[in-house]
Amino acid sequence: MSGEAGKRGSGEAMARETGARLKGAESLNAVLDWSQEILDAEGARVDAMKAPGVLHAVPVALKDNIVTIEQPSTCASRILEGYRSPFNATVVNRLRAAGAIIAAKANMDEFAMGSSTEHSAYGRVKHPLDPTRVPGGSSGGSAALVAAGVVPVALGSETGGSVRQPASFCGVVGVKPSYGRVSRYGLVAFGSSLDCISVFGRTVEDATRVLSVISGHDPLEATSVDQPAITPAPAFAGAQGRPPLQGIKIGLPREYLPADLHPGVRAAMDRSIAALKDLGAELRDVSLPHSRYAVPTYYIVAPAEAAANLARFDGVRYGPRHIEPADGDVRALYRATRGKGFGPEVRRRILVGTYVLSSGYYDAYYGKAQRMRALIADDFTRAFGPGGVDFLFTPTTPTPAFVAGEKSEDPVAMYLADIFVCAVSLAGLPALSIPIGRDQGLPIGGQVIAPYFAEPRMLAVAAALESAVSATAEVRS
Amino acid sequence: MSIGKDEVIHIARLAELAVSEQELPKLAEQLGRIVSFVEELNQAPAEETAPAYLAGPATTPLRPDEVNPVPLSRSPAEIAPAFVDGFFVVPRLGAMEEA
Repeated sequence: MSGEAGKRGSGEAMARETGARLKGAESLNAVLDWSQEILDAEGARVDAMKAPGVLHAVPVALKDNIVTIEQPSTCASRILEGYRSPFNATVVNRLRAAGAIIAAKANMDEFAMGSSTEHSAYGRVKHPLDPTRVPGGSSGGSAALVAAGVVPVALGSETGGSVRQPASFCGVVGVKPSYGRVSRYGLVAFGSSLDCISVFGRTVEDATRVLSVISGHDPLEATSVDQPAITPAPAFAGAQGRPPLQGIKIGLPREYLPADLHPGVRAAMDRSIAALKDLGAELRDVSLPHSRYAVPTYYIVAPAEAAANLARFDGVRYGPRHIEPADGDVRALYRATRGKGFGPEVRRRILVGTYVLSSGYYDAYYGKAQRMRALIADDFTRAFGPGGVDFLFTPTTPTPAFVAGEKSEDPVAMYLADIFVCAVSLAGLPALSIPIGRDQGLPIGGQVIAPYFAEPRMLAVAAALESAVSATAEVRS
Repeated sequence: MSIGKDEVIHIARLAELAVSEQELPKLAEQLGRIVSFVEELNQAPAEETAPAYLAGPATTPLRPDEVNPVPLSRSPAEIAPAFVDGFFVVPRLGAMEEA
């Protein structure tokens, strides 16, 4: 794409080239399943299509919680080892119909629970620029594959920032659509009131093109909203010599720019804010006062929903089963299968979720969190309301990519890596991360947040910023 | 907030999750830390409240009550650990009622 895959025409050639790239990137451990045979079949399939689609011969990697018929779909968990879905996710069918080549299933934090892709049953994913560091998570495999140039675009999923955060760490674009705008039919459920299939791309334009294919109503999915597919908005052109973002009001939430913000992140933000001003945007100080409660709210709501959703993995209908003792009853089957099949972080979250939903605690935790969630969403409604701003701009993450192992024994420290992305997920809003510079070689992301269903204009603002700031320049040199 | 070993055993039983004796102390410590963290919500002023958040469309969309299954590329027999004559095979139900 952007002058590469989309124009090359030959599916077969792209399949070979992608295979070579996947082989060359094996050390990242970003892939759980790929084969040259499947790639070649995909290449031949798109070559045989009567008319080239929007994504003709574009290789796409899929996070392994998006189910496909051809490859195993394991969610990076032992409990789904070898599982092959009997159907394709809606997004997979749409990508294939648009001419895309399904290239690989990407590694991830088990069941999408994590912020570093260290919680995969199949080993951690390495950051493409520094193998001692994490690529972020939970969609770290998809992010690393795009950052390493293996594929131009990839799908991930967000429950609490799991695409924007790794996009920021890896220096690529990550776009989360409004809740309900992209069908989740065939996305393995984690937190059903939060989950969104989301997109990685090397450029805003590439990510937009994928979104235009996968978005739009799906009758197979009850939470799919009756909104048209996302179409690219006309670029902000700056007609008659006016700067392109003139008249656009962008809010800078003060809670996202604390005094003790990492100095590299601060420098990158300062540079981008100056660029937005140069583009003609009006920058305003705004407040989202309940932001400080977003992470604790998320870590009640998401585990509660996970505990319910993951009850289906019990060794009865799919996946390997374990019975100890050999003559145990059905509950022994459940306990042994789940005890052996789920890794440490998934087990922690199931236990926390069960705890906050248990008798006597439900209202103190889950009820309170759902009420706080409404207040967090109201903050955004006010910011975007009458007399307010058109978009918000914040850092995506509080720091650049951290060193592997640094937070793995401290779950709460890991959870705080999502401090700037969680609130948006709780409110169901669209948002994206774009690279806005590097600090000591490590990428830093800036986040644009938009009102519901304002993806086209959000993407146009991001494209304007993308053209005005260097994604790779050092911000503190 | 501290969570004791007995409480972890109780929650694990509710969650149908085997937990070994050796991992109990660490799990209790980590769950205690997570629960203490989420209790930061208690710092919010009590008067700041709202009706519980509802995600997604306000009403559940309905479709015609027709049996119209999505075609599957492989049958449950190919996916299930044990499937005989159209049934998922499980061990005896045993003491389900003790829960």
